[in-house]
Amino acid sequence: MNPGYELPLDEAGYSFGFLDEYAKREVRRTILKAISIPGYQTPYASREMPMGRGFGTGGLQVTLSLIGEGDTLKVIDQGADDSVNAVNLRHFVELTCPGVDTTERTAEATLIQSRHRIPETPLTEQQVLVLQVPYPDPLVVVEPSEARRKVMHGEGDYSRLLTKLYEDIVQFDEITISHRYPTRINGHYVIDPSPIPRYDVPQLHQNRALVLLGAGREKKIYAVPPYTRAEPLAFDDVPFRTEDFGDEHGQRRACKRCGATDSFLDELIDDDGHKHWQCSDSDYCNSRLTAQSATSAQGATAQEVNA
Amino acid sequence: MNETTAMAARHHAASSVWLAPRQQTAFRQLMTAFSYPGRVLPLAGDGESASMLVVATLIDGACSLADPNGELAGDDLRRMGTRTGSVETADFVLASGMRVVDAAPRLGSLENPEQGATIVLAVAGLGTGATLSLQGPGIDGEQLLHVSGVDPAWWTQRAEWNTHFPLGVDFILVSQHAVAALPRTTRITLKGAH
Ligand SMILES: [Zn+2]
Repeated sequence: MNPGYELPLDEAGYSFGFLDEYAKREVRRTILKAISIPGYQTPYASREMPMGRGFGTGGLQVTLSLIGEGDTLKVIDQGADDSVNAVNLRHFVELTCPGVDTTERTAEATLIQSRHRIPETPLTEQQVLVLQVPYPDPLVVVEPSEARRKVMHGEGDYSRLLTKLYEDIVQFDEITISHRYPTRINGHYVIDPSPIPRYDVPQLHQNRALVLLGAGREKKIYAVPPYTRAEPLAFDDVPFRTEDFGDEHGQRRACKRCGATDSFLDELIDDDGHKHWQCSDSDYCNSRLTAQSATSAQGATAQEVNA
Repeated sequence: MNETTAMAARHHAASSVWLAPRQQTAFRQLMTAFSYPGRVLPLAGDGESASMLVVATLIDGACSLADPNGELAGDDLRRMGTRTGSVETADFVLASGMRVVDAAPRLGSLENPEQGATIVLAVAGLGTGATLSLQGPGIDGEQLLHVSGVDPAWWTQRAEWNTHFPLGVDFILVSQHAVAALPRTTRITLKGAH
């Protein structure tokens, strides 16, 4: 981020949210069309932002066009609120959007901007999730021409993408895609759900919250509306599977910090070369630790009373 | 409240639709309306008109508007800086529930379905009147919508225009103060009028 940028002031001196009102209005019109055509990569004129594209500018433009006084924003990068990228984006919103609160707690947020993860804590109807997208079009791997890709998307014709996936299976015995798993929305458009792990894809299905995806470089916004089908592409003989985190005995690995066996785990290596696993969603992990220490404190109190 | 302050309040409410913070909150209600089709949401405050607030929030010089019934004042149109167009060509069509338009709005194309028009339909009431049963994305099972002051021919037209997804038109229903949205994916079953 360039620390020397200046905020644009319109005639009224109103500069909330960095973007001018014309830019916001365009993004807003685009969002309504994106919701109306689930999964369709809706084009818009992306504005220059005071940070390089690829640093979440697409997601940030969506967030800045939505956000207002009274909102509580959470920004996460790979599950963590304290990474440099997340801190920079949060700081930018704090600077440009007076009256907006920020939080690290998923449950407290009205708006969540994220890169690479969907929070473990289920979202509610009162929340909106904005995902940052580097590469929006899943058909790029089979068709270089955007004009032809747009026709294929419009027709819902994904036969060549399915063939490519099947070739992968024949060669590697399973679907090798770890992130950006092609997912069909409401039975028509197939999206790149952004670099979330396979583990997060089922969360898109019939979610209670609106999910918006913003690609700044490609100038596209698309949406998975609430209560909408989101189906990872799969085959009868090779069903879609999420990461199972089983150890060599088939036992589900647990988070080393909080003991969770129901979260997406990051593999870490200690100084002495030992592997261990830890929740990638730091708020989920911290919330569990807080709840555990509260329970054990309560337990201690109850014992004293009994004594 | 005396007459002068009441007039001042009305004047303030009328101009509030042009204020950026007001448009931000209005947009959030619109976005929620599109996310959960058929839910009736409060939109305009005292002295504000929901249809004017929708139009001011979404439309500017980058898009065109058809106003076949001449609902908007010339001053408001100039302020938006919008281009006026015909029903067949405009991005937005401002229409009345009682008067079905006599031309087909833009439906978009296979490659660019977002170019299908948005119809802002002024209705007599939301939450009372004929019962529509709705299904589709954004709806957990079934959503009922009660709406009055809409010629049923609108729903026949809408079904025709939305036959070939992803082509189609998206509706924003506005009463005096409330809003509900019917994106092109929403399937409507009429449950009989009251
Ligand atoms: Zn943990």
